[in-house]
Amino acid sequence: MITWESFLETFETGSGFWNPLIWITAIIVAFLIIYILRGYGKKEYKENTEQTKVFLSGNPEYEKEQMHIKGSNVYWGFTESLKWVYKTLDKMHTGNVSDYILWFVIIMGILFILVGVI
Amino acid sequence: MIELQDVSMRIIIIIVGTIGFAAFGIIFGLFYKGIDRKLAAHMQGRIGPPLRQPFRDVVKLFTKENIVPENAIPWVFNLAPIMGLVGAISILLYLPIVPQTDGGLGPLVSVGGDLLLILYLLMIPSLAMVIGGFSSGSPYATVGAQREMATMIAYEFPLAIIIISIAWRLSIEGNANVFALTTISSTAPVWSVAGPLGFIGFAILLLVLIIVTPAELSKIPFDSPEAETEIAGGLLTEYSGRNLAMFYLTDGVKTVVMASLIVALFFPYNLSNLSILGLESGSYLAFAVDIIFYLVKIFLVIVFSVTLIRVAIARLKIDQIVYTYWVPLTLLALVGLICIMWDPETMAQFGLPRVVEWLGFV
Amino acid sequence: MNIEHLSQTLLTHSPALIVAVPLLGAFLTPLISRINDKLRNVFVILTAGLTGFLVLLLSHDVLINGKIHTYIFGSQDIGSPVVRILFEVDGMNAFMIIIGAILVFVAVVYSWAFMKENTGLDKYYTLILLMAAGMFGMMLTGDMFNFFVFLEITSISSCALIAFWTNKGKAVEAGFKYIVISTIGALFILFAIAILYGQYNALNMAVLANSIQYTFLDKIAFVLLIAGLAMKAGIVPMHMWLPDAYGRAPASVTLILVGTTQASLYALFRVCFTIYGNSLTAPLKQIGSVTITLNGFLGTFIVMLAIITIIVGVFMALKQSDFKRTIAFAAIAEIGYIFLAVGAGLWAIGTPHGMMALKGGIFHIINDALDVGLLFLVAGAIYYATKETSLNRMGGLARNMKYTTIFFLIGLLAVSGMPPMNGFASKLLIYESIYLINPILAIVAILCSILLLAVFVKVFYSAFLGPKIPRFNDVKEVPKSMLIAMGLIACVIIFFGLFPDLIVNNIVEPAANALANNSNYISQIIGGS
Repeated sequence: MITWESFLETFETGSGFWNPLIWITAIIVAFLIIYILRGYGKKEYKENTEQTKVFLSGNPEYEKEQMHIKGSNVYWGFTESLKWVYKTLDKMHTGNVSDYILWFVIIMGILFILVGVI
Repeated sequence: MIELQDVSMRIIIIIVGTIGFAAFGIIFGLFYKGIDRKLAAHMQGRIGPPLRQPFRDVVKLFTKENIVPENAIPWVFNLAPIMGLVGAISILLYLPIVPQTDGGLGPLVSVGGDLLLILYLLMIPSLAMVIGGFSSGSPYATVGAQREMATMIAYEFPLAIIIISIAWRLSIEGNANVFALTTISSTAPVWSVAGPLGFIGFAILLLVLIIVTPAELSKIPFDSPEAETEIAGGLLTEYSGRNLAMFYLTDGVKTVVMASLIVALFFPYNLSNLSILGLESGSYLAFAVDIIFYLVKIFLVIVFSVTLIRVAIARLKIDQIVYTYWVPLTLLALVGLICIMWDPETMAQFGLPRVVEWLGFV
Repeated sequence: MNIEHLSQTLLTHSPALIVAVPLLGAFLTPLISRINDKLRNVFVILTAGLTGFLVLLLSHDVLINGKIHTYIFGSQDIGSPVVRILFEVDGMNAFMIIIGAILVFVAVVYSWAFMKENTGLDKYYTLILLMAAGMFGMMLTGDMFNFFVFLEITSISSCALIAFWTNKGKAVEAGFKYIVISTIGALFILFAIAILYGQYNALNMAVLANSIQYTFLDKIAFVLLIAGLAMKAGIVPMHMWLPDAYGRAPASVTLILVGTTQASLYALFRVCFTIYGNSLTAPLKQIGSVTITLNGFLGTFIVMLAIITIIVGVFMALKQSDFKRTIAFAAIAEIGYIFLAVGAGLWAIGTPHGMMALKGGIFHIINDALDVGLLFLVAGAIYYATKETSLNRMGGLARNMKYTTIFFLIGLLAVSGMPPMNGFASKLLIYESIYLINPILAIVAILCSILLLAVFVKVFYSAFLGPKIPRFNDVKEVPKSMLIAMGLIACVIIFFGLFPDLIVNNIVEPAANALANNSNYISQIIGGS
């Protein structure tokens, strides 16, 4: 039967452990401290003035839709340095059903050879 | 069986501990930041700001206006800095920095979390910065945020290799709970389990970890997410006032955390256990000696992994950062891993006992 | 008739009822649909709720009390089970039907508002319930041919549902691809079943497991089963149908598709661990001082495929610009984690860390269903509110859709395995057991989990953050039924995250034991031998 103590048990993996409740307690306490600390800071700012405009090194702001960097442009640095990986992957994904079946046959073939040899 | 009283006792320990860690992390984070700035200035032939300058900076930021730009999502924009700092403080809970009654330093909650948890928790401050940067709705901040994310992906690869290698080597020695920091820092420090090849392997891993640290802390040469000269402060562009102060504090706490992690993994030795000093383990004097020695150790780590590197090397481009971590450093870490994996076999053949035997002492 | 007796009767018949209730519900739905639309929706939700209740009843008895239920159609006693269709429910089956029940219930609640503006809803709900019946059948059956039948029921109803939005050409294309792939996969599975039947004159899984010899024909059947089921589960490089199907189906359908994919995965594990369980550790060949066993080389093969699955899934997800395709590729990576852990468990079968890996993999099955399911529901909610699917055309939605944003954040943290969500607990189990097999496996797994975080941070940014876009000024929060559906999954995710030890001890461990040890499964039918 499930007792209330079993809710508090530490999760053990054999090589380490993890107790979410301890972490949650610490997070809540730390959040309160930081929230109070932050409360000492100045709250006000001048709403709806030049101050809240986006900083663009003095250039005029474009239309709102153009100010939003598109999802496919994010992580340029990462995809740029791993271009060769993406080239291979793109070649693999043809979107053609006969290729899908071909891959199935290839995997089945490899497995046949493996099982047959061993 | 867990007693109700026991539970409430543990809750009180956690609450008091968290308050203590928050104070410790923030104060020493800022203090080490001051030392870092002063030292870097001297290395560049400048005089540099006084040691208490970071404290003044925070006080100054608290008196400035806290602007929420019109393009930002206010609740995400305000929550991100707090969560970053909270996440950074919570890591201190699991690091071995509290004096134990049986001598040495140990974590406050020894069975609450392990090294992999710390690996994940280390992501929270960076993640908070990324989300904060993205939520500001400024192109500069967005560019900075995605660079930070790419940097994070880049340095996690060697970092994961380091952590898994250490745990693997310890588990081969037959230790239980190899991911626990108590095991790594007090039961079986890495140098004590390593043979000659393993020693080389761990030295390589230490070097890699020292190079990972500046990226973890967004310091030059891996500070392209914040690059002031190119993208105007990057993901911090739109932050001001107390929100910026939160990020400033997060940076300080993270510095202490990373340095403590290096100390815990590779230099977990304590002075109070030395018999020459004749300290009684568990006495206040022993506690004081341990703490001071620990503070000196993290000072040295910060000097080598933050100050020296950032003075010596110029900033890298973002694709260069990804390349640096994924190719040369990962290969280096893998070499370390291979050394460590071969270590148990070479240890049996060429270990110290065998060397002694060859030399004819036995 | 008193309550105790009634519940006992219900429990005895629950394996059959779990399939029968949605099946009968499916046939009644068009009739009720003639009366009133709202009544039909209530009826479908009640059907799903009743099924869920039966699932809870059955799985409680199996998991907590440790019993194995058998249900033999057309007979009361276990006289000659060899020629009868039967359902056998051990820990693993009970675990899988819990996932199925959660997904089906949430999907029908979600559909209430999500599908409101569509026509032909009587057909939609009929197919949903048929698909649910097929999925539960796949998860419960103890008979190979019966499994094939349920597989076909699921495939055909899923195909129709994937192509439900026929006015969009791409949905029809995805449906076509799906039916081609699943028919070919299913036919190979049927071929394998025929081979086994020809050899042992039996279709019953337990009887087959008891008499399997690992002869030449058995090897052929084994390869066909593994390849066919792995394709149905979306293992790279046979995964390409999956983003098409997941990406084009309505979100509520995608949710159940996740469940059916996992049912195929379950069948794969059943084949490896139970049917071929007796020949797993027998030495096959001696090369030098190394003895090759089936579990060793099969485990290696599965782990290799799993690593490729994780890497390809994550890398492809990183460059997608369509919301649901991104999640679909992430789902492939998550399936890779399950496959990795279970493969490692197979590799190191009988050792403590092998058992840990198996537990981690099984725990990850339910976490994957919940996390990926929640993300698909959020994607559906955004489609409902904005009629956009491309990430490049979204932005700033956190202003208009606050609750959806919070649900997405929960899903984001859970799927990338950040503490304190459920994904972290299962991934921790996986990392901290597979590193003993090979450190590289754990390193790649950790790295790809961080890449998953990057993927979803990108999605979070492009859909929810950013400046206020005038086009979306009058976008409103989605209706209550969709919020309730997302909230239900989010609550389960947080509960699992906060009490991982409880879940692993009570739900996951019986399932892992059932997989690792097939003698209980066999002796239930054969009787003690």
